[in-house]
Amino acid sequence: MPALGAGCVCFPTTFLSQHKETTVQLPIQRRTTIRLVVAAAGLAISAMAMAQETIKVGLLLTYSGSSGVGGQLADHAIQLFQKKYGTTVAGKKIEFVKRDTTGPNPEVVKRLAQELIVREKVHVMIGPDFTPNVLAVAPLVTEGKVPTIQTGAATSGIVGERSPYFLRTFFSIPQLIRPLAEWAVKNDLKKTYVVVADYGPGHDSEAQFNKAYTALGGTIAGNSRVPVRNPEFSSYMQRIKDANPDAVLAFFPLGELVPQFLKAYANAGLKDTKIKLIGTADMTDEGLLDASGDTSLGVITSGPYSDAHDSPENKALVADFNAVASKIGRFNASAVAVWDALRLIYDGVAAQGNAKFDPDKFMAFTRGHSFDSPRGPVTIDKTTGDITQNIYIRRVERQDGVLKNVEMVTFPNVPAK
Amino acid sequence: MTSLLTILFNGLAYGLLLFVMAVGLSVTMGMMQFVNLAHISLSMLGGYVMVWAMDAAGVPFLVSLLLAFGACAAFSVLLERLVLRHFYGADDLTQVLLTLGLLFMSIASVAFIWGPAFKPVTVPSWLTGQFSLAGLQLERYRLFLLVAGGLLTLVLVFTLERTRFGAMVRACVDSRRAASGSGINTDGVFALTFALGSGLAGLGGAMSVNLLSLDPNFPLRYLVYVLIVVSVGGMGSITGSLLAACLIGVADVLGKYYLPELGGLFIYLLTVIVMLWRPQGLMGRAA
Repeated sequence: MPALGAGCVCFPTTFLSQHKETTVQLPIQRRTTIRLVVAAAGLAISAMAMAQETIKVGLLLTYSGSSGVGGQLADHAIQLFQKKYGTTVAGKKIEFVKRDTTGPNPEVVKRLAQELIVREKVHVMIGPDFTPNVLAVAPLVTEGKVPTIQTGAATSGIVGERSPYFLRTFFSIPQLIRPLAEWAVKNDLKKTYVVVADYGPGHDSEAQFNKAYTALGGTIAGNSRVPVRNPEFSSYMQRIKDANPDAVLAFFPLGELVPQFLKAYANAGLKDTKIKLIGTADMTDEGLLDASGDTSLGVITSGPYSDAHDSPENKALVADFNAVASKIGRFNASAVAVWDALRLIYDGVAAQGNAKFDPDKFMAFTRGHSFDSPRGPVTIDKTTGDITQNIYIRRVERQDGVLKNVEMVTFPNVPAK
Repeated sequence: MTSLLTILFNGLAYGLLLFVMAVGLSVTMGMMQFVNLAHISLSMLGGYVMVWAMDAAGVPFLVSLLLAFGACAAFSVLLERLVLRHFYGADDLTQVLLTLGLLFMSIASVAFIWGPAFKPVTVPSWLTGQFSLAGLQLERYRLFLLVAGGLLTLVLVFTLERTRFGAMVRACVDSRRAASGSGINTDGVFALTFALGSGLAGLGGAMSVNLLSLDPNFPLRYLVYVLIVVSVGGMGSITGSLLAACLIGVADVLGKYYLPELGGLFIYLLTVIVMLWRPQGLMGRAA
């Protein structure tokens, strides 16, 4: 840093002194010296400021409460990414400012986002997680012109609609549901019972599946909406038994409902029947697999990322991650979303070179940007800013004593819409 | 018909589980008018003690249930002696705020000690899967809950109705001043009852892990159900709590089966109706 500063100072001072000598007649030696010193000092300060410009990245994630693991996993992903790719891009230091959303908490998140944008003056944000939080920050992000990358909200109709500064490296519900419906019909699952959690994303999944599945010739055998606080599943299991479908589609938010549902499903004896249990990646997320245990064996889900994804990059990443963070949890879809959000930020900042950070140029660059993610090739959509990626149909199996989402079928380049 | 019977069976098993978790709170509230919202935290503690005993120490399932009972009873004595007894004379709001604070502390402590993730439990194979009875396919674990809950109820009722200690407890519930005046060591009776009730909460929590799920937010999820059982049953009444717990359990599963659109709302409606009809609870006495 000092060497660079000094180098920058030398050139303009000599230039300045020549300039002075040619335009000003017989300058008083002493005054010139003072002027030169002042000019040199000013330039040195501005040169140092140039070299030290930092890009502030606001992290709006959940660090405490029932979803607190998510934030901790993100922190480890960030550390690992910076270890691998460095902490500066094009001479700019990448710095992080953390805020804890504590869960789906739109009022709190609105205040935190305001704090990050107005007081901390962040250039880019990662998060917030949970759809209601995302909706709450949309107007602030637009007004403050802060590119904001979604790594944990999957509802359709957010990215590309609520704010021109939204990007997403996670996945969208229809992106997972459509390939799943297609796979189910292809594999002769003609009658499906749909069980979803009774809240926005649950209704979204239900509607998307009904549309895609019936369009392909499938029949909905029945449906149940389960309260988000629900300790007792036996009635729903009985309804499934009565309907006697070929498959059950289940959608629950990441959390206690998933292991509860899987346990109730196994206890009711449904796991031992010919009925197939299918769902979105949330049902067998790496963060819940170990808690669900053997009840999740054989569950078929569609998802963008599995820590068992067979590529050298992913294997190395998972090994590095487990070496430092295996106590906290496993690398999962939201951790890889944070990883890819950093890739977008690094690439986007690098593309602007030495110039001052410009959010609109950042958006123009990232939209349409393609890169290789640990999950496979991804592209950020040119018009919406949402992610286009491979969707894999996976089955939970035990490999080397660990439950894993083993990929069976790949649907390449599935758009988010 | 088979569906209805299966659902009744499931609901009763669920109800008995709620009863075991809630009965201690009902008795101590009836006896001391002490509002202990942290009661549900003891259920969580019981769950963690059981999972820890099974995973780390390799203790068999049934023994670990007893351990959960013992650990929670012992811990509650400590809690009662060190903290709670100083607030017996305090007003309701102080008690509610204090015990709610304890509840949040329990969430943070458990997350710190055992981590924020869900804790799975593997029950022995004779408790998993299903069995056939008169053409019905029923869950073995729920049968275990029914049998264990039923036995506990008998023991409790016998202790309260037929033993000297039981007579003292009833006397304290009826009128603490009169009981104290006739020479009963009400402090001692209360401490013992409190320990027993807390032990039962721990046992219920441990038994619930296989049916519900265990993580640090357990108290927030189940506090409401326990409070409903206590208020619908009537404070201080064991049979009232039993009745209320079975009613809530059965109503919950029936409601979700026949009126799924209402979802979980059914039991709240039922609670409101019972409270309007009998504000003191089903078996509670009018103040």
